[in-house]
Amino acid sequence: MTTNTFPDVARIDAHDKVRGATRYASDDSRPGMLHATLACATIGRGSIQSIDTSAARALRGVRLVLTHAELSRLQPAGFLLAGGYGVQSLQPLTSPNIAYFGQPIALVVAETLEVALQAAALIRTAYAVEPHQMGLDAPEADIVAQQESPLPKPMFEDVHVGDADAVFAQAAVQIDATYASAVQHHNPMELLATVAEWSEGRLTIHEGTQNAEGVRHGVARQLGIPAEQVRVISPQVGGGFGQKNSLQGQTVLAAFAARALGHSVKLVVRRSQLFHASSFRAATRHRIRLGADHGGTMLAAIHETDAQTSRHDLFPSVNAEVSARLHGIANFRARERLVRTDTQTPGYMRAPFEHMACFAFESAVDELAQALGQDPVALRLANDTQRDPVTGKPLSSRHLAECLRRGAARFGWARRSMAPGSMQDAEGQLIGWGVAAGAYKAATAPAVARLRVYDDGTALASVGVHEMGQGIRTALAAALSRKLGIEPDQITLDIGDTNSTPQHITVGSWGTATAVPAAVEAADAMLSALAELLPGDAAGRSPAEILRAAGRRSLDVAIRRKAPGQPDAVFTRLATGLPAPLGPNYPDFVSFSYIAHFVEVRVEPTTRRIRVPRVVSVADCGRVISPRTAASQVRGGVVWGIGAALREASEVDPRYGGFLNADLADYVLPVNADIGDIEVEFIDRADPLVNAMGIKGLGEVAMVGVAAAIANAVHHATGIRLRDLPIRIEHLM
Amino acid sequence: MHDTIHHAAATDPAKQLQPTRRGIMIGAVAAPIIIGAAGEASGQAPGALGADAVAVRISVNGTQHDLLLDPRTSLLDLLRERLDLTGAKKGCDHGQCGACTVHLDGARVASCLTMAVQAVGRRVGTIEGVSAATGALHPMQQAFIDHDALQCGYCTPGQIMAAIACVQEGHATSPEQIREYMSGNICRCGAYVGIVAAIADAAPKMQAG
Ligand code: FES
Ligand code: FES
Repeated sequence: MTTNTFPDVARIDAHDKVRGATRYASDDSRPGMLHATLACATIGRGSIQSIDTSAARALRGVRLVLTHAELSRLQPAGFLLAGGYGVQSLQPLTSPNIAYFGQPIALVVAETLEVALQAAALIRTAYAVEPHQMGLDAPEADIVAQQESPLPKPMFEDVHVGDADAVFAQAAVQIDATYASAVQHHNPMELLATVAEWSEGRLTIHEGTQNAEGVRHGVARQLGIPAEQVRVISPQVGGGFGQKNSLQGQTVLAAFAARALGHSVKLVVRRSQLFHASSFRAATRHRIRLGADHGGTMLAAIHETDAQTSRHDLFPSVNAEVSARLHGIANFRARERLVRTDTQTPGYMRAPFEHMACFAFESAVDELAQALGQDPVALRLANDTQRDPVTGKPLSSRHLAECLRRGAARFGWARRSMAPGSMQDAEGQLIGWGVAAGAYKAATAPAVARLRVYDDGTALASVGVHEMGQGIRTALAAALSRKLGIEPDQITLDIGDTNSTPQHITVGSWGTATAVPAAVEAADAMLSALAELLPGDAAGRSPAEILRAAGRRSLDVAIRRKAPGQPDAVFTRLATGLPAPLGPNYPDFVSFSYIAHFVEVRVEPTTRRIRVPRVVSVADCGRVISPRTAASQVRGGVVWGIGAALREASEVDPRYGGFLNADLADYVLPVNADIGDIEVEFIDRADPLVNAMGIKGLGEVAMVGVAAAIANAVHHATGIRLRDLPIRIEHLM
Repeated sequence: MHDTIHHAAATDPAKQLQPTRRGIMIGAVAAPIIIGAAGEASGQAPGALGADAVAVRISVNGTQHDLLLDPRTSLLDLLRERLDLTGAKKGCDHGQCGACTVHLDGARVASCLTMAVQAVGRRVGTIEGVSAATGALHPMQQAFIDHDALQCGYCTPGQIMAAIACVQEGHATSPEQIREYMSGNICRCGAYVGIVAAIADAAPKMQAG
């Protein structure tokens, strides 16, 4: 196990990024490229009766218009959560049926973008309209109990430990409250974009994706060609957050058009179209019942969730996986229900379940502290556990109590006066201090890692992972550099390209814990192989020196690695672009990352404007490989929590379906003026079990609990308990 | 064939549109200058360019480009799709995110909301022109690295162009002011703390330099 901390070094790709030199998929602007754009449905549900593309086709410069008439023979790629590759089972343009507002109905390809946009606007469509339903208050027929659904068990089984109902009924102190959240959209700054080109029967796709291997196999299946004929390249993603986790609807359209035209095609999905073109964070409702004794021991909890899915797919709901683990509660029952709506299939958006599950649960814990007259930090510390409450297995590591203690000290929590509304600043603004805990599974995926060192002192490494700003290139370079004694900038990282190693989906905060230990294992294998080149004479020499002494130009090694307890069959899934992670439940232990957030809000007394001037977050993510990028990731997660708590909501249009505020002026994201100080601290202690480097995960736990800490702080400032997100000024009037 | 011709010195001014800001659309509509003859200038995709194509000379990062344009072309699409200057990014195409921020005569503009023809006779500056010819980084670029004011990097060129202008406008005298005047540039990765620190760090260095 590595016991040393890693140094604070600059992000390895920052030099390119600050010069605008990093090329994202849509930055491919080779002369002669054709431009494609989508036209989308304007009804909430129904079917296309006729679609008139003649005016579009007649426009000078238009090269191709595709509708379901041309694409009905595409093969299905399947839904990611049902053994396939797609963001949903529905592939637009393969049938006249319209399942949701905004579903793409036509693709226009033209010689310039301006002409493509004009042509798309000339398409005229007649529809047969059917009624649609968008909300959680749905007819009984649209509500699916997950436990009874075809979703695989035990993966999607309701959590059930002890006898929560009986114990709750007897509990001296009871909290029973319902929390809700609006639909939200990922909105990475990089738009979904595909550049497709064919050469001698082989397809190359440039696309910012978190799952190059899945895109490759999915699009190959759709086109009916071997995956070997498809290459997907995604070296840098301009933000993913879960949106780009699978084969998107536009990819095959660009590929099909490029083949038909014998020309490379660039298809960029417009921002307004993105609100319906990819997935989103489902609207949810959480009823939490939490029972405790008078001393503050949490005895039982019941977590019931209603979460939105689409009519054509079941997107599973796994809220209790984390809420049952936050505290040492012996009796826990969950019930997850899915509500069918006429939308595209919702999906994973940063901390997809954990954000709202912990908002609900950690709000309830704050309500319990209030009811008990106890300090909310002390209450959490008193209910800490070192054993997994759900399985009874040991936890690989859990330093949540230390996160809470360190955070409290750094924040100055001891100076908090308990009564709501009791703290004000000099200008009469109400001050509220809130705390919440968060957790996120520490999962691991299988990986193949290849490493080559050269006699000139450079190295080339490849492993399955995607860089989307989390800093994986920096972490890989740091870990390899330490092992091999080669400077980070002498190591070329070939990642996000299916021509290298299998590029497993990078989501679920497993990227670093998957790729870095694999790369380091390859480096260990390399050191052994180098030692064999110069038996007894390799010690103290650099890889390049050994190669030169041995008369070799370069040396290659490859290793493969999987999560503890995984069968070898996962390598088949890896090779075919299917997700193959394991965690948090490993055979001998359970593994989570943890965080504690401390938030100060200021509420202006007349306008009720809420500000968040400072946040302190202390994370237990195991060993930190790249401290600087890790701290940025936590700050980013906190910004996401602030957005989710105070800003972001996709407004449902009950008349025509779809989401109304489908642009960045009306879908309000946090901007610079919304963000104050965010202090970040790491426990930075290697996990002894989950992998040899002691890495858990960070990208998502960073966000988990922020919204609860904000709502708890708002309650502390005002005495008003707000249970629906986002919190807006009008809720405090 | 490449779609631009680089001129070191001015050529026949009669072939150039040099309208005022207000006159651009009028000029383009009422008196388009059409260059059909080969060798004068060539559009990237001539087939798509109809009778309303306009010939323009646009200066980007000190280089003159003679171009035949669809008058609907935004400055952002011109930079990205015709001039291979892809540092400026498209995040919304509606002036709502700042990813496309460039300088027009030194002032920051959303290039997605700026018609390419509006840049005629003015100086366009992009992220590609910010570093010194020696390759040395601008103090703002270095400060963005030092404070890790980025993650995915997609918003970063726009942030840096806005940040340089923010300092030049005199709007970087306090963290509060920086936050306010940088709020037209969204960073979905949430690198705001680093961005404010970077600008506060670079501002005195820019003045000194
Ligand atoms: S692309 Fe111009 S402001 Fe968003
Ligand atoms: S760095 Fe990713 S959007 Fe700003």
